[in-house]
Amino acid sequence: MKTKGKVLREGVHRIKESGVFDIRSEALPTWCPGCGYFGIHQGLNNCIQKLGLAHHKVVIVSGIGCAGRSLFFTRTYGLHTVHGRTLPVATGVKTANPELTVFAVGGDGDGLAIGGGHLPHVARRNVNVNYLLFDNSIYGLTKGQPSPSSPVGMKSKASPSGTIDKPLNATLLALTYGASFVARLFAGDPDSICRALIEGVQHPGFSIFHIYTSCVTFDKEFKTWANLKKWVHPLPQDHDPSNLRQAFDRVLDDEFSVGIIYKRTDIDK
Amino acid sequence: MPVVDVTVEVCGMAGDGTIAAGGLINEAMSDGGFSVLAFDSYPAEIRGFGRCVTRSRIGNEEIVALEDKTHVLISLNDEQARSRVPFLSENSMIFFDSNPAVYVREDKSLVSELDPEAILFGMPFNDIATASAGTTRGRNLTALGCFAAICGAPPDLFRAVIIRKFKSKGEKVLQTNLRSFDAGFDYALENFSNRIKSIFLISDKVGGPKKVLLSGNQAIGKAAIDAGLKLYFGYPITPATPIMEYLATHLPALGGRVIQMEDEIASIGAVLGSYYAGTRAMTATSGPGFALMTELITHGVMAEIPAVIINAQRGGPSTGLPTKTEQSDLHAAVFGGPGDSPRIVVAPSNVAECYHYTVKSFQLAEKYQTPVILLADFYLDNRVENLPMPEASESEKSGSNVLPENSLKGSYRRYEITESGISPRALPGMEGFIFSATGLEHTQTGVPDYSPENHMLMTEKRHRKITGALGDLPSPEEFSSGGKLDVGVIGWGSTFGSILEAVTTARNRGLLVGGLKITSIFPFHESVIRAFMNRCSEILIPELNYVGQLANLIGYIHSKDVVRLNRVTGTPFPPSAILEKIEYLVQVGNE
Repeated sequence: MKTKGKVLREGVHRIKESGVFDIRSEALPTWCPGCGYFGIHQGLNNCIQKLGLAHHKVVIVSGIGCAGRSLFFTRTYGLHTVHGRTLPVATGVKTANPELTVFAVGGDGDGLAIGGGHLPHVARRNVNVNYLLFDNSIYGLTKGQPSPSSPVGMKSKASPSGTIDKPLNATLLALTYGASFVARLFAGDPDSICRALIEGVQHPGFSIFHIYTSCVTFDKEFKTWANLKKWVHPLPQDHDPSNLRQAFDRVLDDEFSVGIIYKRTDIDK
Repeated sequence: MPVVDVTVEVCGMAGDGTIAAGGLINEAMSDGGFSVLAFDSYPAEIRGFGRCVTRSRIGNEEIVALEDKTHVLISLNDEQARSRVPFLSENSMIFFDSNPAVYVREDKSLVSELDPEAILFGMPFNDIATASAGTTRGRNLTALGCFAAICGAPPDLFRAVIIRKFKSKGEKVLQTNLRSFDAGFDYALENFSNRIKSIFLISDKVGGPKKVLLSGNQAIGKAAIDAGLKLYFGYPITPATPIMEYLATHLPALGGRVIQMEDEIASIGAVLGSYYAGTRAMTATSGPGFALMTELITHGVMAEIPAVIINAQRGGPSTGLPTKTEQSDLHAAVFGGPGDSPRIVVAPSNVAECYHYTVKSFQLAEKYQTPVILLADFYLDNRVENLPMPEASESEKSGSNVLPENSLKGSYRRYEITESGISPRALPGMEGFIFSATGLEHTQTGVPDYSPENHMLMTEKRHRKITGALGDLPSPEEFSSGGKLDVGVIGWGSTFGSILEAVTTARNRGLLVGGLKITSIFPFHESVIRAFMNRCSEILIPELNYVGQLANLIGYIHSKDVVRLNRVTGTPFPPSAILEKIEYLVQVGNE
């Protein structure tokens, strides 16, 4: 009979052999079991591996929040900044050394509340930064306050009578601000995330990946896995990502279709 | 040649061409071999019908400060110029429009305010300009022509400057200005021939080392370029904007870029990102913008990322007095932001130092892997001095990155505890040194860690590093005859010029007085300052802030209370106010 320790050791060995730790750092993620961020993180790691990017030429810049911790779990250069300032810092990194592949990572609070003023400007400058916006519509790290994308009526310790502010739609904002590559994705589908990231990294301009995900600890009602699985569906086959007007229509009509919503094709490399 | 030391003012309403006229005087006098120190004051509103005043001190000896009194006043608008009357010296010379476009009641006129001793030169600027050039637009040049003629300045000196300034604006504009100037000059010669004074004959120093007129802001911009600046990120704010504009003009041709960001937070964020990737970058701002930057500045402290930040101070708090001078951001620069966050703060005191301390900031930032804040102030940023073109040696400009040795590959610890506190810094793109930088407290390898021992060790490391920077920071400079002193005057920033002027005058009067200039604000040379203080009976610290921020920082070193001399008038510190206090302290000490 195998002892428990032996089973674990063998398991770890098998995982190491699989090459996961080529890109995954050995630090244990700080996310709760079941958190959607595992899926996003896997998509990101797979993208770096599949593109064959040299790890020392990749920089992940992140903000504050659960999403901000991602960079500690990946073997690339990382810059964990302050709350909300991910995009300007990433702008500095990319402008200083264009040979680096730069990912910016942050949550809905980081990117839509405190850092909401930076998104329009990184979009209009079209800096070649790949921005992953983890949107679980809640402040997880501070234990469950409403975020700018929380639904009206959301009850929490900070909003016992329910919120009254209308939620922001990050995809719609990105289109409005002139982002040249806009994808909307679902944390439950790491393969799609990986595919979209690969296309976004190859896109010669600013790319935003608005990723619906779930906070299993503090959100038991709204963006639960069960609800997200029910709501999320792929973009229709005939969606033309080069058509901005169609992209707007799609996003206005349908909050939960996922895929590459818009991609500007006329950018000089 | 007799000593020339004359302060000339041009005063008008916004839109009168006041600042332009003052600028032409500075250039002509500099070309003539004189020393020039000039400072303009203008309203925060573009066309707010506010008062514009240029003050230029012109002399044939070195000039370190503006004088309190004005010897020559050129009025382009009597209503505005009336406010300048209290600042006039005895027997001052007044140039004014004897037939202005808008009638001025006699009891509201400039002349009615003047001391009877004043020497008046009333000429119809408007009429002369119109008769010569068909427009009143060159009226300020007409006034200059009158001034040049009466003061005995060679007209070609001015003509050359006018051509240099206006030739790019087209022949018509150039001719209008030249004709207006000539007409004023000729009118004055003809009508005041018996009152010509030979004040500004060409100085005997002409032909000496070639001098250029530079503002503090221009010197900072030039220094940044000479130091190899590649990226400037900024947001417009008075009085720092001219730095961005200077760089926008000159940096792109050298392969660099100026990027106007959405706010000051984004500006410092991008500077940190750029330095993290190993590229020299800078931002410049003033108090309100600096306040916004403080969180990210402490991120630079914590994650040990270099940054160069210019804080061109203005009157505060809040929006404060955007176009007035003050030295009230010292506390914010040294202590601003969360936590124990030591950083390097330097403060130049004249235009040449603006250049050299900016160059130095880049080296300090890289070597000590920390934000470096250069504190300038409105009076320093916008004053103009003529000086030999400042240049930096190769060693001053060279890179000072502390990179990890190849042997550390695989075992590299980004935040290794070292004796100096400096840990080798790897840059993204370097293979074998992957690490994460974070604003969270972290271990030597950069992993977040909040254990008590670790926070103690890392906090000590960061402080040790900054204390160690003292070795690379210029020591305070003393201006005295040495030995025991009755009064020692300590100062910083633009105020030091006024202190030096007052100390020099006091010493010439036989008083035992000395000055100590502090340019390294943090860390500061405690032992040098203590040695100076120990030789002085009284320590006087004049500052343009209300509480005495430098006095708060270093006052504890003295064995008794330091004497503070604080002003928040929004104007440069007058040397006479410092001299008065020095004389008082000497007198009280002797009683």
